[in-house]
Amino acid sequence: MTIESHASGDTERPESPVGEERRGSASRVAASLLRRSDFSVVLATIVLFVIFALGSASFFTEYNLFNMGRTSALYVFVALGQAIVVVIGGMNLSLGAIGGLAVVIAGTAMQDAGISPLVALPLALLVGAATGLFNGLIITKLKLNSFVATLATSFIFAGLVTGISKGSPYTNIPDITFIGSGDIFGIPILFVLMVVTLAVVAYFFRYAVTGRRILATGGNAEAARLSGIRTDRIVMLANVLSGVFAALAGFLWITRVGSAQPSTGSDWLIISFAVAIIGGTSLAGGEISALGLGAAAVMLTLIKNGLVMFNVNIYFEQTFLGIVILLAVSLESLRAIGRRRSRSPRHARGAEGGTGK
Amino acid sequence: MKNSRVLSLIAATGILFSACSSAATPAPATQAAATAAPATSAPASQAAASAPGSVAASASAFGCTAPAGFAPVWYASAAHPYFETVKPGVEAAGKEFGFTPVEQIGPDWTQDSENQGLEALFAKGSRYFSVYPSDASGANALYKELTSKGATIINFGASTQQPTTASLVFATDVKAAAEQATEALIAQMGDKGNIINVLEVLTDPNTVLRKQGVEEVVAKHPNVKIIQEISGMASQQDAVQKVTDAIAANSNTVDGIIATGFTPTVAIAQVMTDYKVKGGTRTIHSVGIDTDPTVVKAISDGVMDGTIAQNPFGHGYLPMLALMCMADGYKVQQGVYAVDTGTAFVTKANLTTYADDISKVTQKIKDSMLTSILTK
Repeated sequence: MTIESHASGDTERPESPVGEERRGSASRVAASLLRRSDFSVVLATIVLFVIFALGSASFFTEYNLFNMGRTSALYVFVALGQAIVVVIGGMNLSLGAIGGLAVVIAGTAMQDAGISPLVALPLALLVGAATGLFNGLIITKLKLNSFVATLATSFIFAGLVTGISKGSPYTNIPDITFIGSGDIFGIPILFVLMVVTLAVVAYFFRYAVTGRRILATGGNAEAARLSGIRTDRIVMLANVLSGVFAALAGFLWITRVGSAQPSTGSDWLIISFAVAIIGGTSLAGGEISALGLGAAAVMLTLIKNGLVMFNVNIYFEQTFLGIVILLAVSLESLRAIGRRRSRSPRHARGAEGGTGK
Repeated sequence: MKNSRVLSLIAATGILFSACSSAATPAPATQAAATAAPATSAPASQAAASAPGSVAASASAFGCTAPAGFAPVWYASAAHPYFETVKPGVEAAGKEFGFTPVEQIGPDWTQDSENQGLEALFAKGSRYFSVYPSDASGANALYKELTSKGATIINFGASTQQPTTASLVFATDVKAAAEQATEALIAQMGDKGNIINVLEVLTDPNTVLRKQGVEEVVAKHPNVKIIQEISGMASQQDAVQKVTDAIAANSNTVDGIIATGFTPTVAIAQVMTDYKVKGGTRTIHSVGIDTDPTVVKAISDGVMDGTIAQNPFGHGYLPMLALMCMADGYKVQQGVYAVDTGTAFVTKANLTTYADDISKVTQKIKDSMLTSILTK
């Protein structure tokens, strides 16, 4: 509302210089907010949070908030695995299979080889990095589209998961649920890890040279190459990081449930894309938002939690889920309208290689 | 350049298939017959001796034998802990009666994959199939086609929808199992209180039967009420999240939680363990189905009250026997189709002995196979 009234510029009486300055400052803040790709998802998350808090007495309990916090955290790690390749204009369809493979390798190491979780974690991350590198090599050396390449490797990795585990979970492993169930001053450890990771991601894309190169490659790969960036290496790096995030998400899931489940990752594909894209990662590449990723993960968790809280009809649950997501992401169109109205020559930006927030 | 890469890929794929084919190809009929151990000397089900539902080998006392070249197919939809517990029964039957089953596990839980797998095996000459139908309704078209060409198919674990051309089904009576679990839960709750009913996947006809079973039992107890139903748990992650949310939503009112599917039962074990760790003080009784190690541990730790143990060994073993006898000239008796392979309610008290109860059911069905199920 404030945005629209400001954007109309419809003033009926003269303003004092101080008032004009305040209005000018407010309009700059509003315009700045509207420019952010993550603005709408953050707003939608806040709105949903308020609605659910008012609508269900059980929503605002410590137990529920704790659980939502750690579920959101796992969503973020899954989504980071996708966002890091989407931002270079690619995708990783093998994300879930990589997560599953990392879990199975960690489970085998801990249960069958008696290896400590302190060793199993880096081992799992190594599996993620190796599989990501494999993807990256196929994409860059064979010049295959990331869709085709990772579709093929998803079968390879999924086959390894079932081949190694035979579908059975690893339950005789050391108890590491203190990570998945633990808290720091009442905040889930997983949520704290998520915040720290997102902060690092935000810094990386805003200030680190490699981060800017990733964005530049995603924004315009040819221009990036001509400006001296070794884009093939960037693509490989993004795929390695994607694998590492998938492996990390898998390992954190072990800490959440106390066993290594081979089915881990089987439903990550939709989650990873949903959180990444709703969170402001541009499908065309070159744009990512750490804040948006966090907000989108919380939003999806809120919606799923809300459906149970409000005891919706189980037969139509998926329909409700789709409607609420659609309504939430529709705020993006409001942002676009507001942005058009508030755009002025001094706010207009030139073409950029990409943005990281 | 691109062409040469594609050609290299094709060549590599060909080599890979060649390398894998020897491992994937089932033993030829003649080889199977040649290597078949005599029934009396076969150490039958030693490997599976401790498996719930297993029975002592007694091939010599059984009324039919495996014809030369008999190599029945055992087809499981996808890699899953349940199928790993069924497989020992299949292998035990093979060792006991001197045949080599062709074991096949599909890549995913879809009817399409199952169709492709079974059609390929039929094309290779297999005629006797023990199949877990991936889609209770969708499998019927495939069955109709294969049986019209001379195949004999027996369902294990789950039935196809009626009418079906499957000869038999060896499975748990899912509705009866759900009723048994619900009665057990209500007894633990002291015949009063509120229940969360955790269903698995609503598109599975078995889930519908389980839901009916739970609701019919609850209806008999006026002081017991289902306060929430949750479903749509295709994955473990989904199940854990939904069970957690449901407990949070009913944290002051829930007294019992019941799951009648594998995935939500494991989720309940994990969530209830976590609930205790997080200091949850409310007494919430819980009963599930199947004996996944996570569930068994939760029962052992006192986190869950109990679970319904099925007879996976029997699901593997008994269809093999029936197929063997049908290949030997027997046919299914008029009016016989579903064979209940039995269940046992597992609590902390009988964790180490429940397997014996299940084994007795397997033995009983085996003993009556040629009198109550099949006929010459």
